[in-house]
Amino acid sequence: MTQAAGTGGELRRIVRINEEIKSVVATAFKINLMAMNAIFLAKRAGQAALGFSVLSNELRRFATDLQQQMEVLRQMTHGSVASVTALVKTERLNRVVDRMRDELSGQARAMIERYLRNRQTTSFVLHQEAIATQNRRLSQTIADTAQLVELGSVLARSAKIEAAYGGSFSAALMQVSSDFEHTIAEIHRSLEQLSRHHD
Amino acid sequence: MKTAQVIYENGDHRWLAIVRDPDRPGYLVDTNEYLVSVGEDAILLDPGGSEIFPSVFSALCAEYDPRRISKIFASHQDPDIISSLSMWMEFNPDIKCYISWLWAGFVPHFGGTGDTFIPIPDPGTDIPVGRERLRAIPAHYLHSSGNFNLYDPKAKILFSGDIGAALLPPGDNGLFVENFDRHIAHAEAFHRRWMGSERAKRDWCARVADLDIDMLCPQHGAIYRGADVRRFIDWFAQLDIGAVKS
Repeated sequence: MTQAAGTGGELRRIVRINEEIKSVVATAFKINLMAMNAIFLAKRAGQAALGFSVLSNELRRFATDLQQQMEVLRQMTHGSVASVTALVKTERLNRVVDRMRDELSGQARAMIERYLRNRQTTSFVLHQEAIATQNRRLSQTIADTAQLVELGSVLARSAKIEAAYGGSFSAALMQVSSDFEHTIAEIHRSLEQLSRHHD
Repeated sequence: MKTAQVIYENGDHRWLAIVRDPDRPGYLVDTNEYLVSVGEDAILLDPGGSEIFPSVFSALCAEYDPRRISKIFASHQDPDIISSLSMWMEFNPDIKCYISWLWAGFVPHFGGTGDTFIPIPDPGTDIPVGRERLRAIPAHYLHSSGNFNLYDPKAKILFSGDIGAALLPPGDNGLFVENFDRHIAHAEAFHRRWMGSERAKRDWCARVADLDIDMLCPQHGAIYRGADVRRFIDWFAQLDIGAVKS
């Protein structure tokens, strides 16, 4: 975060990230429900859909893992808000002290200037470093999430392959696995947006 | 972190209560913040102190896009109500703050400029939120000399600020009053000590008794619902207030 970007800009960026997180959570919930239906469908299909059943269970687990990952991201953005807030407070104090310095002269002014050189810079730099560290962690978590979503895509593609062996239920199973693919593609897009807001 | 809970929903008209942070430092009084959203517009009621801004902001983000908040309502001037104003102004410099005219020259010390504030005259005013109109109802001297509640006639909810407040003991953190008699014991000392005018109290009780209220939402403690709303008004009407007891 640069001074030019501003703390307000940083808060708005966090909001955009949160909106994408909410979107992914909603989609993950949808996948969870779809996976439950897929499991019931596979059960009705019997032996022919055993492989599909296993993959549906994995997709349920994927959806749960994704929701947990989004919760981790959400907690991180909360940390970022706390850091940005601390920065706003420091900036506000510094503006007041700046005005104080402008109204003083002689030794008093020199004292304030020393204070500003030491504390102002130190506090500001510390807060900026905290924000930078949080942003790096956020980047890593987004990257980890992207890998998780890649796994989801593989599961959905595998489910499509298994669907072909579903006998009389094949068409229904193919439809379900196509729905999985499209829904996971939605998550890909949200993650891309999330990454863009984060950069 | 606080949580944001839906306490009223009718289509795109919602009330969120932002409450109960288990990590709140013990030296800070617990507060409730509320968001009223109608369509694409929203107003934040008593947004909270600067120390809890991260918690309020994050809880809100989980349920609502804060970029749609166009207004803040401050029932009065206390720091636990409005000292986060500078943070909200950083986030959205165009936010307007409704507050009693009495405090419009004081609260800028917490943030904002001359353009930020919409002073509310003593008799109150209507505040538009989306297609609805909320009403700022006078509650002066209870406890602040320039003090307003906010009434939503469609939702039948009265945001009552410090009136109805209770300082709940640890572990007793329900969102709604479930047992009035047990709950009101946590409100009594606060109301006796803080509410300063018997006349103002009687006027307020008469004024709100005429309103159709399903929920009375205070800034501290639990929300009164249904019959407990009337119970509270009657209890408050007969309470001895405005004296320090040694």
